[in-house]
Amino acid sequence: MDLTRDEERLLSEGTPAERMSMKILVTLGDVYGADRLIPITGAHISGASPKTLGDAGVGFLEEFATTARVRVRTTVNPTGMDPDRWRELGVPESVLRTQERIVASYARMGVEPTFSCTPYQIGHRPKRGEHVAWAESSAVVFANAVLGARTNREGGPSALAAAVVGRTPNFGLHLDENRRATHVFDVPVPISGYRLSLLGLHIGEIVGEGVPYLRGFTATEDELKVFGAALASAGAVGMFHVEGLTPEWREADTEALSPLIIDEADLLAARDRHSTEGVPDAIGLGSPQLSADELRAVADLLGRYRPRQRVFVFTSRAARTDAMDAARRIEALGHVVLVDTCLEVSPMELWARTTATPSGKGAIYLPTLCGQRVVLDDLEELLRRFA
Amino acid sequence: MILPGRRVVGGRAEGTVLASERALSFLGGVDAATGEIRDPESPIRGERLAGRILSLPHAKGSTVGSYVLYGLRKRDVAPAAIAASRAETILAVGAVIADVPLVDSVPTELFVTGDRAIVDATHAAIELPDVQERSVVSCFLERQGRVLVVRRSEKVGSFRGKWSGISGFLEGAEDPEVSALREIEEETSLTEVSRIARGSPILSRGGDTVYRIHPFRFHAPLGDVHLDWENVDYRWVDPAELPRLDSVPKLAAAYRATLA
Repeated sequence: MDLTRDEERLLSEGTPAERMSMKILVTLGDVYGADRLIPITGAHISGASPKTLGDAGVGFLEEFATTARVRVRTTVNPTGMDPDRWRELGVPESVLRTQERIVASYARMGVEPTFSCTPYQIGHRPKRGEHVAWAESSAVVFANAVLGARTNREGGPSALAAAVVGRTPNFGLHLDENRRATHVFDVPVPISGYRLSLLGLHIGEIVGEGVPYLRGFTATEDELKVFGAALASAGAVGMFHVEGLTPEWREADTEALSPLIIDEADLLAARDRHSTEGVPDAIGLGSPQLSADELRAVADLLGRYRPRQRVFVFTSRAARTDAMDAARRIEALGHVVLVDTCLEVSPMELWARTTATPSGKGAIYLPTLCGQRVVLDDLEELLRRFA
Repeated sequence: MILPGRRVVGGRAEGTVLASERALSFLGGVDAATGEIRDPESPIRGERLAGRILSLPHAKGSTVGSYVLYGLRKRDVAPAAIAASRAETILAVGAVIADVPLVDSVPTELFVTGDRAIVDATHAAIELPDVQERSVVSCFLERQGRVLVVRRSEKVGSFRGKWSGISGFLEGAEDPEVSALREIEEETSLTEVSRIARGSPILSRGGDTVYRIHPFRFHAPLGDVHLDWENVDYRWVDPAELPRLDSVPKLAAAYRATLA
């Protein structure tokens, strides 16, 4: 890879964290055949909860943070708990102490304490054509597909390195040729709400690392968020197109591809692969974290159905501020609205053994990260069945 | 033998190989404090990484796995070096932050746990000093859509009783096609064969030897096959049967290489 004089200087004369960051980017660039580093306008880092980071990660961050400072706007993923509610919810104090070390390390580097997996819904929203380095697979796919920004599926450490250098290696989804469709899907069945989770699970399992192109439906931004999150959890997907809807669909180059047709049985099979028959002892919402609009809709539904199971609602601090009235209504019904954390990195295992959720991403990660059995279904349907 | 690869993270290390045939998840699959393999599905479960030359196809799972490698190094229980078929983000970043030499584009299926290895990542090469490389030819004679296989006698030095193509070691630095024609004449008494295809060499591990197999496919003229002492039986088989024969290693793969 060709480096500029400034990049060479950072590699040899930067602070220890800067030298290591450059070495990470140069190594990845060489491994993946990048020609150079390109400037980025922002970064989003994953790895902020004790559960996903582990002791080794916390140790690394603390040492790294002593000589690191991010050069571009940088946001960070959810932590492992709501800092105002941990005691009431039985989270051990030792976990809290680990969490505090993580939060302090990111603060020291200049990372914005967003603790959100939906940076694009709380003001960190790159424009079409902007190059960024984002981790968090659901945010990556949203940035590429819905915003038309350009990022690879970064890992926590590589996104952090890019934030410190302000650059990322030029390969993969930064290049036009890798953003074109690899599969075409016709969707003649009705698609809305939680059925986008099922569609995402089904297609993600088919396309693997490919770029799916879908036609036959339209969706809201929140629905595309849910779809992308399931898609990027079931497959290593970083980009998709929806005909007539997403910004780059005209450049998707689908002519040589023969379409696969989605039918009702595909969606049911996707649900059955990820759902059990058990009776849930909690309902979990917010994987990814709910937007202000979604919070309001959930508050209305809970008011109407009054479920006896406790509902854990995960959102960002910013979305809760926007929809404070809805958050208060949910709490007044005996449920919990948690911020700075999300469904899978929270200690759900302390509160439930079987969790019901409409989130396809939640259905994939709850079993491994929280030891949960999962009932995957539409929220209104769940409330009707179990209220 | 010396295997060339690609340098990902430079450095040099010697040690004993720990070979994982399958991809490994560092987050969850490896004990972050001791470097012991924990993944219940891993064939090397219970082994420890400390000081070993870890060979594996690639890493899998969470990208936070890179930090595990760093933590192992801090505790002095990291592998001494890593050889991978394909480095991806987890291995590449992990090796950088842990400063562990890493070479990729290496045929890691040739590594066996317990091999002594010298990894010179800086010069993109791995030496297995106790493993020798020998070049052999493997020839498929074709007649009316069927190929000739022979069963090796009890008098030959390796793979006794196994089905094989016409095969033999290269002598010195000779052209593989010269040895192919010599072996065919010796083992079948057929002459006047004409070459249809020559495949790219494939590597196969057997004991302390890596065989570099040069595959050939020839058209066989009419005439009877007369075996010499090396083989005790022969058959003309449909090529689709090759994978089902009790054969020498990589027989079907060698045939496939002549089709590419």
